[in-house]
Parts: sequence; structure tokens; C-alpha cells
Amino acid sequence: MYRYLVLLLTISGASAHEFTPTYPKLETSYVEGVLYTSMTLFNARKDVEYYEFGVFNAEWEKVPFAMQNKVMRFKHLEKKKVDIYIREKDKEEVVYICSKSKLIVTGNAKTSLSSRICSKVK
Amino acid sequence: MKKLVILLFCAFSAQAEEMEVVGNVASKCVVTPDTAGVYGNPTADELSTDPTDGGVDPIVRFDVIQASMYKARILYPTSFSEAPALNDTVVWTGDVATSQVSDTSMSGYDAAKVEFDNVTEFNLTVTGSTWFKTESKAEYGYGKAFPGGVYRAVVSAECIAI
Repeated sequence: MYRYLVLLLTISGASAHEFTPTYPKLETSYVEGVLYTSMTLFNARKDVEYYEFGVFNAEWEKVPFAMQNKVMRFKHLEKKKVDIYIREKDKEEVVYICSKSKLIVTGNAKTSLSSRICSKVK
Repeated sequence: MKKLVILLFCAFSAQAEEMEVVGNVASKCVVTPDTAGVYGNPTADELSTDPTDGGVDPIVRFDVIQASMYKARILYPTSFSEAPALNDTVVWTGDVATSQVSDTSMSGYDAAKVEFDNVTEFNLTVTGSTWFKTESKAEYGYGKAFPGGVYRAVVSAECIAI
């Protein structure tokens, strides 16, 4: 019985999550009334393949935004640029742009560390 | 013909000598899982990562390139992400602390940490790497035995620009 009970807060080996820049700037896009910023995510976590993106205000409430996919696949050691679009009227609201690892918590998956990195729009 | 050979030789020599490697160091935070956590089961009603209880505390590393640009926010679990059916309450407690630092000036991180609910925040005021260990304990009902099965919980490690 103990062999079933003694389990798990598993974190897999050396691997990392990077999200840059630290202080992104919103720029005018090709669509009127819409601003955008380019972020770069580098996935060095072997145990994670998907990342979710979010935009928040100073109180950590969600701010509407658009991008190609709000959950994107990143293979191990893959680095990708992602463009995030925000309405110009929400410009003053936007404070944090975050990426969060998506975990598979059932089956044989052993990932149990959720990593989130947030950049700040100043 | 002789001139052509000399010219070709010069051209190949130049190609072999000059290879540029370009790098860019920018402010960033890197979150790296370091050590896998394991729950020990010291008594029938308790699961704990404390090494004295037979567990292993999970460790996560934060690397910052520039000082005072990020804070680390670590959340110990307050529920299982995978467990057998439980029909009584589980009481969670936990603690987050530095376990290793790359610079002695980081020794003040523990004294300056801010704790609320299951959240612990550290201002990363020194450039370098910091390892944080997260201890968590789950107690089931009033001295009830946890049913047999696999138990899994998630630690959340966040690096937030300030």
C-alpha cells in the first residue's frame, strides 16, 4: 500500500522557460485602433510542449487581446516570436503580458511544476 | 593562370579566417525546475515533502540577468491534481525558502520574503541564480488514512517583472 501512497511532486530534469523582453513596448499595427508587441518564448523544458498567453491589468484582471493562438505548441529547444494585439482603447489598462506552461496532469505525465513568466508594459 | 590561382587562394583563406558569432544579452528571467519533489507518508493521514518524513522538497531555480527587475512568486499546492476519490477535507500547509544562492548578497532573501495564503514572494534584487525549495504537507480528515493510489500536486513558480 505504501508504494502507492508515497508519491509525487515530480519535476523533470534540467530545463527552462524564457519569455522576453522584460519591458515590451506597444507599437502601432497595420490595423487602425490596434496596437501590438512582439514577444519571444524559448522552451527548454523537455516536459512541456504547450504554453498559454495572457494579458492582465495592475489588479491581475484579464485584458482582451488577440494573437494567432492563445495556446501555442513549442517543441523542446524551440524559440518563437509571438505577436500580441491589443485595442488602443485598452492601452492604459495593460500592465502584464504572461506566458504559462500547460501541464498534462493525468496518465503517465510526470510534470508538476507550472512556470509562469510575466513581462511588464511600462 | 598563376595570378588566378593566387587570387583563389586568397579568397579561400579570407573565408576560413573570418567567422562571426553574434550574441545579445538582454534582461530576462529564466525559470528552471531543478529537483523533483516526492511525498513521503510518515503517518496514514499525512503526505509530506519534508525529508524527515521521507519526502523530497521540490526545488526550482530562478536566473536573473539584471538585478531588481523581477520578483519570484512561488505557490505551494492547495489541492491534488491527481488523487483517488477523497470524501473528507484535506488541510494543506507549506513553506518556501531559499535552498542555495549563487551570490552571498542573496542571503537576505528569506528575511525579506512576503507571505500570504499559499503564496511567497521574493524580490530578486541581486543578479544571478537562486534555488527555492517548496515544502508542502497534506493532512486528511481527522486522523483518517489516505486511500491507496497515486497522489500528485502542482507547485507554481512565477517570475514577474516589477
